Amino acid sequence: MRLSLIVAAVFVLAQTTVAAAERPLTVFAASSMSEAMGEIGAAFEAESGVAVTFSFAGTGTLARQIEAGAPADVFVSADTQWMDYLIDQGVVLPESETVIASNRIVLAGALDSAPLDLSADVIAARLGDGRLAIADPDTVPAGRYGKAGLTALGLWPEVESRLAPMENVRVALAAAARGDTPLALVYATDAAIEPNVRVLAELPAESHPKIEYPAALTTGANHPQAAAFLNFLTGPEAAKILRSFGFVTHKEE
Amino acid sequence: MDFLTLQPAEWQALLLTLKVAAAALLVALPLAVVVAYGLARYRFPGHGVVNALVHLPLVLPPVVTGYVLLLAFGRNGPVGSVLRETFGITFAFNWTGAALAAGVMAFPLMVRPIRLSFEAVDPKLEDAARSLGALRLVSFLTVTLPLALPGILGGAILGFAKAMGEFGATITFVSNIPGETRTLALALYTATQSPSGDVAAFRLTIIATIVAFGALIASELLARRLRKRLGGADA
Repeated sequence: MRLSLIVAAVFVLAQTTVAAAERPLTVFAASSMSEAMGEIGAAFEAESGVAVTFSFAGTGTLARQIEAGAPADVFVSADTQWMDYLIDQGVVLPESETVIASNRIVLAGALDSAPLDLSADVIAARLGDGRLAIADPDTVPAGRYGKAGLTALGLWPEVESRLAPMENVRVALAAAARGDTPLALVYATDAAIEPNVRVLAELPAESHPKIEYPAALTTGANHPQAAAFLNFLTGPEAAKILRSFGFVTHKEE
Repeated sequence: MDFLTLQPAEWQALLLTLKVAAAALLVALPLAVVVAYGLARYRFPGHGVVNALVHLPLVLPPVVTGYVLLLAFGRNGPVGSVLRETFGITFAFNWTGAALAAGVMAFPLMVRPIRLSFEAVDPKLEDAARSLGALRLVSFLTVTLPLALPGILGGAILGFAKAMGEFGATITFVSNIPGETRTLALALYTATQSPSGDVAAFRLTIIATIVAFGALIASELLARRLRKRLGGADA
């Protein structure tokens, strides 16, 4: 009886050590980067033989998870605010932070919608009795950029009482694609990925803070290839993949 | 800021939660009583299917239930478009949608105890009432219902508690609109997602706990009164 208990204990311990060595390279990335990151991960695996596991969600959700000790090696945020927050909390290595891309904010709607002027009357008319789907402006970068842009353009008071705040930008995108809302405020890259929406208007870049996607290593990163992946993310091949999805990169080749 | 006074956003979430849960209960409870009685007293073809359908929201992940509601009751959904065009009623992105989601999720939790309490009422008592000339409905209201009341109350409390705490189906179906669909659970979720939201989240947790305690104590007192009354009638 005691012998079998010891054998069982050794077996379990062996499994945990094996599991630790085999823990995949884990990357937490903003949901707007889902497809681009998938391709970058595949390219990295083809080159290095290391598989990458991704977790996509609203940046705020991911940041809170990392703060609480989630086993992420690399974090890709949709704004510098959440990245700075994690640096303050001491869970991200500040010297590893690099901005990998930028983006644009657009108003998108179902395929049969007409293009929009960015004026209060036109938008009010288009919304009708419906709502503007937006990633929650309090917690999600896409919503924050969108709110800043609409405020700068003088359109925020018009839409403030007619928002449908969602947990991340992709949920807002889906709402417009299904026709649940006449309009959604999303990234240009999201509208490009979704076949059932079209871009109706683009918010001028000057109307909102510069959209920046910083990437960094977490302090808890213990996968041997974590730094290599971050390096790959900031390199030319990843930049090419990002550009193919509509992201704006700093190294224009 | 005086920490015992509620901030406007907290009041808004609290009152909205009570409104949504009360509306959900008001519509779902009578329906649950009828369905529970039907399942308890009658054996009909499809009994198993009805039972399974009633329990579906209990077994499905809440987000799935919310998604199904969204597809069915959304602007362009089969039920939603009819309601919108014919009656001008919209559930999507409305507090009524939150109440619908809460009601659907609470329904199986109400049917179960109510059905059990109906099954515990001796059908011979109903037969006796009817043999004395009472109509079926009258016998139900004056004999069966009062005897099943403790179970109905239990189901109502459980349903109300579930409706108050509903999150997954609500946020998927009606999103997170302050004042319209941001109930206590959703407000707490929002607070936990904000960088400086820990204090707000903590306060909302306290509020939600106090309300839940209040409801449970009230239900316990009511149940005790009921048991005394019914116990007294037997003695």
